[in-house]
Amino acid sequence: MRKSLAIVAGMIAAVAVAGPAFAQKQGGTLKVTHRDNPPSASIHEEATISTIMPFMPVFNNLVVFDPKDKINSPDNIVPDLAESWSWNADRTKLTFKLRSGVKWHDGKPFSADDVKCTFDALIGKDDKTKDLIRKNPRQVWYMNLKETTVGSPTEVTFHLGRPQPSFLSMLASGYTPVYSCHVDGRAMRSKPIGTGPFKVVDFKRNESIKLVRNADYWKKGLPYLDGIEFKIVPNRSTRVLGFVAGEFDLTFDSDITFPLLKDVKSQAPSAVCIARPQNVRSNLIVNREKEPFDNPRIREALVLAIDRKPFSDILAQGNDLVGAAMQPPPAGVWGMSSEELAKLPGYGPDTAKNVADAQKIMQSLGYGPDKPLKVKVATRNIAIYRDPAVILIDQLKKIYIDGELDPIDTTVWFTRVQQKNYQIGLNLTGAGVDDPDVMFFENFYSTSSRNYTGYSNPEVDKLIVQQSSEADKAKRMKLVAEIETILNKDAARPTILHNVANTCMQSFVKGLTLQDNSIYNGWRFESAWLDK
Amino acid sequence: MASIDHDAALARAGANVTGSWSQAAHLARRYPLGAVGGIIVIVFVLTAAFANVIAPIDPLSTNSKASLAAPGGTFWLGADFMGRDMFSRIVYGARISLAVAAGATALGFAAGIVIGLASGFLGGWFDLAMQRLMDIMQALPLLVLALVMAASLGPSLENTIIAISVALVPNVARVVRSSTLSLREQPFVEAARAVGMGEVRIAVRHVLPNTMAPLIVLATAQLGSAILTEASLSFLGLGIPEPYPSWGRMLSESAAEYVRTAPWLVVFPGVAISLTVFGTNLLGDALRDIFDPRERT
Amino acid sequence: MGAYLTRRVLLMILTLFGMSVLIFVMLRLVPGNIADILVDSAGIVSADEKAKIVGELGLDRPIFEQYLQWIGGLFRGDLGFAYVSERPAIEEIAPRIPVSAKLALLALIYSVILGVPLGVISAVRQNTGLDYFLRVMSLSGLSLPSFWLALLILMASVQWFGVIPIYTNEPRSLLDEMLLLSVPAAAVGFRSSALIMRLTRSSMLEVLRQDYIRTARSKGASQTAVNYQHALRNALLPVVTIIGIEAAFLIGGLIVTETVFNIPGVARFLVEAILWRDYPIVQNLVMLIAFIVVTVNFLVDMAYMALDPRIKYAD
Repeated sequence: MRKSLAIVAGMIAAVAVAGPAFAQKQGGTLKVTHRDNPPSASIHEEATISTIMPFMPVFNNLVVFDPKDKINSPDNIVPDLAESWSWNADRTKLTFKLRSGVKWHDGKPFSADDVKCTFDALIGKDDKTKDLIRKNPRQVWYMNLKETTVGSPTEVTFHLGRPQPSFLSMLASGYTPVYSCHVDGRAMRSKPIGTGPFKVVDFKRNESIKLVRNADYWKKGLPYLDGIEFKIVPNRSTRVLGFVAGEFDLTFDSDITFPLLKDVKSQAPSAVCIARPQNVRSNLIVNREKEPFDNPRIREALVLAIDRKPFSDILAQGNDLVGAAMQPPPAGVWGMSSEELAKLPGYGPDTAKNVADAQKIMQSLGYGPDKPLKVKVATRNIAIYRDPAVILIDQLKKIYIDGELDPIDTTVWFTRVQQKNYQIGLNLTGAGVDDPDVMFFENFYSTSSRNYTGYSNPEVDKLIVQQSSEADKAKRMKLVAEIETILNKDAARPTILHNVANTCMQSFVKGLTLQDNSIYNGWRFESAWLDK
Repeated sequence: MASIDHDAALARAGANVTGSWSQAAHLARRYPLGAVGGIIVIVFVLTAAFANVIAPIDPLSTNSKASLAAPGGTFWLGADFMGRDMFSRIVYGARISLAVAAGATALGFAAGIVIGLASGFLGGWFDLAMQRLMDIMQALPLLVLALVMAASLGPSLENTIIAISVALVPNVARVVRSSTLSLREQPFVEAARAVGMGEVRIAVRHVLPNTMAPLIVLATAQLGSAILTEASLSFLGLGIPEPYPSWGRMLSESAAEYVRTAPWLVVFPGVAISLTVFGTNLLGDALRDIFDPRERT
Repeated sequence: MGAYLTRRVLLMILTLFGMSVLIFVMLRLVPGNIADILVDSAGIVSADEKAKIVGELGLDRPIFEQYLQWIGGLFRGDLGFAYVSERPAIEEIAPRIPVSAKLALLALIYSVILGVPLGVISAVRQNTGLDYFLRVMSLSGLSLPSFWLALLILMASVQWFGVIPIYTNEPRSLLDEMLLLSVPAAAVGFRSSALIMRLTRSSMLEVLRQDYIRTARSKGASQTAVNYQHALRNALLPVVTIIGIEAAFLIGGLIVTETVFNIPGVARFLVEAILWRDYPIVQNLVMLIAFIVVTVNFLVDMAYMALDPRIKYAD
C-alpha cells in the first residue's frame, strides 16, 4: 500500500481552512447571472456548465482538484469526502477512507453505501428500480471501473480492469459528485440533496436557482456566504446590463467575451474580470463517408485552409489559443508545445503557403475559381456555433469551396451528426477535465457514445489505451502527441481554436479561484465571501 | 350599380382626373402623408431590387480588422461583430423584408381569397367548416400563431413566409367571404348566371374584381405587420437564420450585446424596419381613404 | 337572444376544441422532441437512453391516445407534468400568470390614458397641424417593433439613470412591482395606444357627422359641450369594445417584451417551452391564450349588444 502524498497536503489545507479566519466576513448573498435554464439539476445526467456552476456547491466529491489552485493537474488533488486514499500493488484497486459524521441535507448520515450507489448507477449496475440517473453522458469515464465494494461504512474500494492513473482525476472533477442512495432521480433533477456547503431552496425553471448556507456543513465555519442566487437571464445584453448596473455580483462563467469586455470595463471600472481558457475548443467535423469529403485529399486541403488568426481576432480580439485537441500550455497540462504544433499541417506560421498548398490540391482535383466545390456547412443554430461557422465559410472561399451555412436546430444537432446527415460542420467540444483519457476516450475512441462523428482508427484506439495505462508522465505525453498528430492528419475533428473568455465579479467578491484549464471544476463556492 | 368602381372612387377623391401623372400629383396633394408613404415604399422596393448594385461590399464577407468598426469611412453605417458592412447588410436586408412581406402577403391572400370565394359561393357544410377553421386560427394572436408555425417548420426564409402567411389567411377569407355573400345576390351576378356562366367563372370574373378595393387596403396594412412579425420571429431566433441579413435577426443576440459599445448595430436596422413599416402604414391609410371613404381617418 | 347566446357558447367550445387538436398535431410535427433535447443537452448520442425517456413520458403511444389523456386531464383540472422540470404543469404555469396579467393590465391602462384623449383631440382638430402630428405619432407607434423600443428604453435607462428595469429580484411590494413593470408596460402600451388612438379618432369623426350632433349643435349647445358630452360618449362605445380586443393583441407584444426585460411571465415561458419541446406547457399555454381571446371576443360581442340597441340578433 502506497499512501498518497496528497493526504498531507490535504490535511494542511483542511487545517488552514478550519482555523479561525479573521479576514473573511460571514454573511451576504452572492448574486450570479445565469445564461440559460439548466436542463436539470442532476450533474451526473448533464454535460453542461449550466448545471455544474449552480449545483456543484450542493455536493461533495470523494476527492477534488484543489480549489485554491488555478491548474487542475493530477498532482494537486485534495481530499473531499474521502480522508485519504491508497492504491494496491498493481494499481487496479483504489481504496478510500471516508469521513465519518457527514450528513446529507435531509439529516440522514452519509456512508460508503452512498458512494457505491453513485458509481453502480454510473456503470449501469445499480438497482434499476431506484432510477438514480436516466442518462449517462460520462459512461466512457468509467469503462474501466469493474465494481465498487464497501469495506465498512467508512471504506470503499474501486476495482479497475487495468491500471488507469487518470481515474483519480476524473473523480476529482466537478462532474463527479457523490449522490445518495435514498433520493431518486427525479428529485436529483429538480431539487437535489447533497452533502455540500449549500442546500437547494428552490430551482424555478427559467427564473432562478436559490441556494442557502448549509449550517451543518462538515467543514466547520464554512461556507461564509448565507446563500447564492442564480438569476436566469437568457438574453446576454440584458445580463451584461444587469451586471454593469450592479444588480449582480458575479457573471456566469466565461460570459464576457473580449468584444464585450471593453463595455464592462468602461461602465463598471471597479469590476474584476478574469480571462482564462475554457478548455472548450471549436473544431471542424468532416463527414468522411460521403462525397466529396470521402476523398482524403480534400480533407487535407481543409486542414491546410484553416487560418486561425482571423477567427481569434474576430471572436476574441486575438486572445484565443492555438492548440490541437488537448488544451495548449501553459494552462493546459497535456498540450503540445507551440514548436511541436507548428509542425502539424495547417499550423505552420506561413498561412499564405498553407492556402497555396490547399489551392494546389483543389486544382489538381478539378476545382477552381470558376468551378467551386459547393458544400453546406452545418452547425448548431446558436450564436457561439454560428459565428465561427460564418468565418469558416468565408475562409473556405479561398480554396474554391463555396459554403452555405446550414443552421441546425439545436435539438437535432447530434442526431444529424450521428446519422452522418451533413458534409462538414462546425462544432464545439468541452473537456470536463484537462486529461487525455477524458479527451480521447470521449471523442475519438471507436465505441464511445460521445464519439458522434463515428471516428474509428484501430491504431488510435490502441494508442489511447496505451497512454491511459502509462504511469510515467513524460512517456505518456509522448504518446499523447503521437495521437494528436494522427488525428490531425486524419482530419478527425481538427481544432480551430481553444476559447478564452472573461468572467467578471464585483471587487468585493473574494475567495473565489477560477481555474485555468477547466470551467467545470471550481464552483464549490465554500470559501467565497463578500467584503462589504 | 353595386360594384365598386375604382375610377369613380378615384374621381371622388380628386376631381378633374385626366392623365395618370396629374392624377398622381393630385392625389399626392390631397393625401400628402400617403404620398410620403408611397415614396418610402418605392425606395424600399428599389433598394431591394438593386441591392447588388447599391451595396458596396458583400454582406456576408467577414473582416477581422473591421470588427465593430464605427460608422464612417469604408463602413458608412459601421460594421458588425464579424466585421460585416452594416450598410450592405441593411440594403440586402430590404430584399429579405420585401420577400417576406410580399411573399407572405401574396400567399396568405391567395389562400384567403380561394377560401373566402369558395365559402361564399358554395355555402353549406364547406362554408361552416371553413368558418370554424378561421375561428380557430383567429383564436391566437398573429405572433403566437406564427411562432408555433415557425417552430414546427424550422427556421428558413421559405418557412418564415409560410408561417406568416398562414396567420394572415383568416382576415382575408373573412373579407372576401362577406363581400362574396353580398355580391352573389346582385343583379349583375344573377344576369351572368342567367346567361349560363359557370360559378367558378362568375366568381373569378365578376365577384373577385369587385372585392379588390377592400383587399388592396387590407394587403397594404398587412405588408407592415408581415415585416414586423418577421422581425419579431427572427429576433426570437425562430425566423430567418444566419447568415442572411434579416433586419430582425440583426437586432437579436450578438447585436444587442453591443448596444453601448456599438449602438449603430441596434439603431440602423431598427430604423430600417420602422421606416419601412411606417411607409406602408401611411400608404395603407391613404389607400383606405381613397377606396373606402366611409372609414376615412 | 337566449338561442343566440347558446349558439355563441357552443361555437366557443367548438373553437377551443379545434384549437386543442390543431396545437396537439402541430407540436408533434415539430422536428425533435424532448427526448432528443434531453439527450442532446448531455452531449451524447444514445438511442437507448432516448428510447427510455420516450417510453417514460409515453411519447411512443398512439397520438390519439396521448391526446385523449391530455384532454381528459384538462377536464379534471389536471394539466399533466412538465417535461423539463418534471413538476405538475399547473405549478409551472400558475405563478407566471399574475405577472403577465399585471403587465398587460398596466400596458392597457397606458394605452387608454394615452390613446383615448389623443384620439379625441385629433378628431376634434381634424386636418390641423396638431392632427397631422398626432396621426404621424400614432402611426409611428404602430411601426416600431416593440422589442426594438424595449431595447432602446433599456439602453436609455442604464445610460441616464444607471438602473436597469429588469426583474432581478422578486419585488418586495405590489408598488415595487408596479414600478418595475411600468417601464416594460410603456414599451408594450405605446404600440397599443397608437391603435386605440386611431380607432378613437375615426369613431369620434363618424359620430361628429351624425345627425343628432348636428341637431345638438343647431340647438345652440356649445362646441365643447357637443364634443365631449355627446360625441365622446357615443364614440366611446366602439372604443370600449376595441379595448377589449386589445387585450388579445397585447399578448403578441408581451412575448418580445418579457424576453427583453427578463420578466418571468407566461408569454416568455411560451417561447422557452416551444424551444424545449415541452409539450404539456406549450399545449396548455396555447389553450389558455385561445381561451382568453375567445372569451374576450365573446364579451365584446355581448357589450356591443348591450350598448348598441341597433344590433339585433335574430335566430
